Amino acid sequence: MAPKENYKNRIELLQGTLDMLILQTLQWGAQHGYAISQAIRANSGDVLQVETGSLYPALHRLERQKWVKSEWRQTESNQRAKYYQITAAGKQQLASNRSRWAQMVAAIGGVLEAEPE
Amino acid sequence: MRWWRKKSELDAEIEAHIRMAVEDRVARGEDAATARHEVEREMGNVALTKDVARETWGWVCQERLLQDVKYAMRQLRRSPAFAATVITTLALGIAAPAAMFTVVDRVMLRPLPYADAGRLMLLNAASQRNEQGGNSGAPYLDLQEWRKWSRSFEGIGFYAQANGRNFLEGATGTEAVGFYKVSANLFAVLGVSPALGRDFRNDADGFAQSPDANSVILSDAAWRSMFGADPGIVGKSVKVSGTPYVVAGVMPRGFTFPYAAGNSLFGGGLDAWTLAQLGDDDKGRTDGTPDYTVVGRLKPGVSEKRAEAELATLQKQIAVGYVDPEARQKHSGAWIEKYGDSLVETDTKHALFMLLAASGVLWLIACVNTTNLLLARAMARQREIAVRGALGAGRWRIMQQFIVEGLLLSFCGAGFGLGLALLAVKLFARGMKHHLPLPVSAAPDWRILIALLGLTLVSALVSSVWPAWMSAHAPVEPALKQGGLQSGAARGQNRMRSVLVMVEIALSMTLLVGCGLLLRTLYTLRHVPLGFRTDHIIVANMQIPGYKFAGENMTNNLYMPLLERVKHLPGVQSAGLMSEVPLGGTFNIHLELKMDAAQSPTRKSWKVDALLNAATPNLQQVFGFKMLAGRFFNMQDTPSSQPVFVVNRAFAREYSPDQHDLSKVVGMKLWHITSGKDAEIVGVLDDVHQSAIAQPSQPEVEVAISQVTPESGIYKTMEGIAMDIAVRTDRDPKAVIPELREVLRQADPALAGSNFTTMDQVVEDSFGSQQLAAHLLEIFGGSALLLCVAGLYGLLAYVVSQRTRELGVRLALGAQRGDLLWLVMRQASVMLVSGVVIGLALAIASGRVVRSYLYGVSARDGWTLGIVAVTLLLVGLLAAYLPARRAAMVDPMEALRAE
Repeated sequence: MAPKENYKNRIELLQGTLDMLILQTLQWGAQHGYAISQAIRANSGDVLQVETGSLYPALHRLERQKWVKSEWRQTESNQRAKYYQITAAGKQQLASNRSRWAQMVAAIGGVLEAEPE
Repeated sequence: MRWWRKKSELDAEIEAHIRMAVEDRVARGEDAATARHEVEREMGNVALTKDVARETWGWVCQERLLQDVKYAMRQLRRSPAFAATVITTLALGIAAPAAMFTVVDRVMLRPLPYADAGRLMLLNAASQRNEQGGNSGAPYLDLQEWRKWSRSFEGIGFYAQANGRNFLEGATGTEAVGFYKVSANLFAVLGVSPALGRDFRNDADGFAQSPDANSVILSDAAWRSMFGADPGIVGKSVKVSGTPYVVAGVMPRGFTFPYAAGNSLFGGGLDAWTLAQLGDDDKGRTDGTPDYTVVGRLKPGVSEKRAEAELATLQKQIAVGYVDPEARQKHSGAWIEKYGDSLVETDTKHALFMLLAASGVLWLIACVNTTNLLLARAMARQREIAVRGALGAGRWRIMQQFIVEGLLLSFCGAGFGLGLALLAVKLFARGMKHHLPLPVSAAPDWRILIALLGLTLVSALVSSVWPAWMSAHAPVEPALKQGGLQSGAARGQNRMRSVLVMVEIALSMTLLVGCGLLLRTLYTLRHVPLGFRTDHIIVANMQIPGYKFAGENMTNNLYMPLLERVKHLPGVQSAGLMSEVPLGGTFNIHLELKMDAAQSPTRKSWKVDALLNAATPNLQQVFGFKMLAGRFFNMQDTPSSQPVFVVNRAFAREYSPDQHDLSKVVGMKLWHITSGKDAEIVGVLDDVHQSAIAQPSQPEVEVAISQVTPESGIYKTMEGIAMDIAVRTDRDPKAVIPELREVLRQADPALAGSNFTTMDQVVEDSFGSQQLAAHLLEIFGGSALLLCVAGLYGLLAYVVSQRTRELGVRLALGAQRGDLLWLVMRQASVMLVSGVVIGLALAIASGRVVRSYLYGVSARDGWTLGIVAVTLLLVGLLAAYLPARRAAMVDPMEALRAE
């Protein structure tokens, strides 16, 4: 089997956070799948690597929820690729995801920082 | 379609991703091949990625189903023998109930061509319900009271068949028609109005007192075939049996009344209806008052029971109007029956339901057999299933796969089954013409198809769920580890399969016992002494245009010359006439007369109640009647000589002055049908059965045709309606019948339409439901035997192939080949014996169902049970011997090396 050490430094994505990351990435403009995965990887400082096995099902799921829409376009290098674009509903969803995330971080942080009385 | 587009888009999307990733790596300086390799490694299982992505579309169910169907088809193609066996088994199992259901549906559930036919009832004035299904109806005065007082019915109408045979003179020719005298409101009660013209004018009393008295309404078929569908027919004059009528209307296509199934299908029979005329005899309540068949339509929401109770209460008061105490007693109550129910004899209904049940048993056997085959297959595929399980297939997924296979097999089976069923129904209908005028349409209707679909689905579920469950829940590890065919679970499964085979044997046993009992019944029936010969006799049921001979003596002017000509046909040894040949089932005349009290002092009533038959002397040579005493008619019995009667044994038993010497009845005097003269009984025939051999013969009186003169009251009924001509000849009936028909045509063109058959056929037809049931059970029983033998063979063959290694070891360790043979045979014997024992118990328990069809044999007949049991055992052992021999022939070296 393939050696696993390549993945050592990476963190498994929390359940449900991938959708939020994708929507966030699409905030800056329409992108295709590969670009999205590259963006997430670059913006997380190579820590978060989105596997294609999760990325595409997630994109299709988001499309089914009508949070993103897609169309085929040419890339700068003249490739045909499917571009995803965030919708109004997607933006709302992103906002609510973000506030839930913030709550979660604050809550977990609170637990971790708590001093014994 | 949309799905395919999305699928290719997804492929393109992933492909684009890979290309971009490779390009990036190449741009970073990797060489193309390594880059591609790296990207692919990073991406992992691309097919899985696509699968997961597709799942989000919600199409996955259909997609998997399609996969399963494809896979199942591949599987079946890979083992055609297995597929063929299962499909044949299921085809047999599905065809039997489908065919029976078709017949039951046609006979019993077929919608009648009347509005809301479920509310149509037949009403009868009688002291008790006639269980044989005969509706006696009611005389006019009674039914008029019902119409006045009853609150349960929307309308009450009535009809009677017009006397004699009737002929409609059409534009193109003259044909025999059904001619009925009906009440003016009858069609309104039936809820059908004429398609052309108008209905009868409905008077307050329902009888014709208006210009409608000589109106006639024609059936669609009569209008089309005899008047060329003339649109201007209404108002024209037509003749029925010589009497002119004015056509008032034409009924819609498919309408037939009284209902005849055959007529309905072929667009209706040749029928004509006119108004019933009130006669003087309708104004009293005596023996001579005619009865009408009464049809009532229940008000919505009124139950059959309530209506019957109301009518019975009414009739109790009405019966007071009968002067004669016997007649009063006879009319002291009322009962009603659904019109639809009255159309099928109770006997036939029971027979059909019994056969439906039998076909259900056959279906069950087929399902058990299929289950068994699928179980065997599931075991052979255990390893495959284990691998699928190990690769992550869920239990439900595996079960689904098996059920899809079952469904596929079932549908193939149903396809063949449908063909088989249609064929069976065709044969059935042809064999049963006499008893069930069954319409056979080429296309099965939707109800049959739905029933078939239901059967197919249930068959698939019944036969595949268990194997699917077993294999889906089998532990994965041992199957993977062992690799070979022998696994630990096999023993338990084999036991299960043995039980299934036992069930099959037991069920087959029940069917075979039923079949055996009916065959014995038929055999007994065939050997009941009939009292006459049946061979080499051709019988013609003559279609007599009686109206043409009004005022003539038909005996002299029609029958005798005709008989003379028939006798001179080549090869005819003798020929005679009779109102109705024994067992003919076409017509009978009931005779009631009083006899002189002094002759039979021991009897309470002096009323003689018997069937009446006219005959010619030479009938004796045709039928060779056995005489118990005295003589048959001879040429000396003329209109001027002493009137004579010949009676049958049943008559003698009933009326003889001396019960110990039946011949004493000879010499007794009875009031002759020709007024003013006493007739002497001159002979006693050995028993002659009238309606069916299984039924005891009724008292019968024969009168010489020559002595039935136009002066006698019964002349018109006797000579103008029913007369059979019976011809004894050594020649082939096929050659003689056309010649006979020609002779009849010369006598009168209408006679050419007479119905010809042979006496052997008449007797054969009289076996009726027994015959039908026996033939069908032969088929069912035979199929069941075949299936259970196949099941037994299949199981043993499988067990032997599974145990090859073990058998080899046994041989190597010194077992004799005979021991191995015995080993397998012993296993077979255990299954056979226990199956047969359970089957015997079942057969005895279900004896009640067939009892009413048996004649001369008990439902627990030891011989039948014994022979069936032995047959089943022998056939079973034979089926077991083949695999057993294979077991004994095992080559130890090969067997040990095989794995």
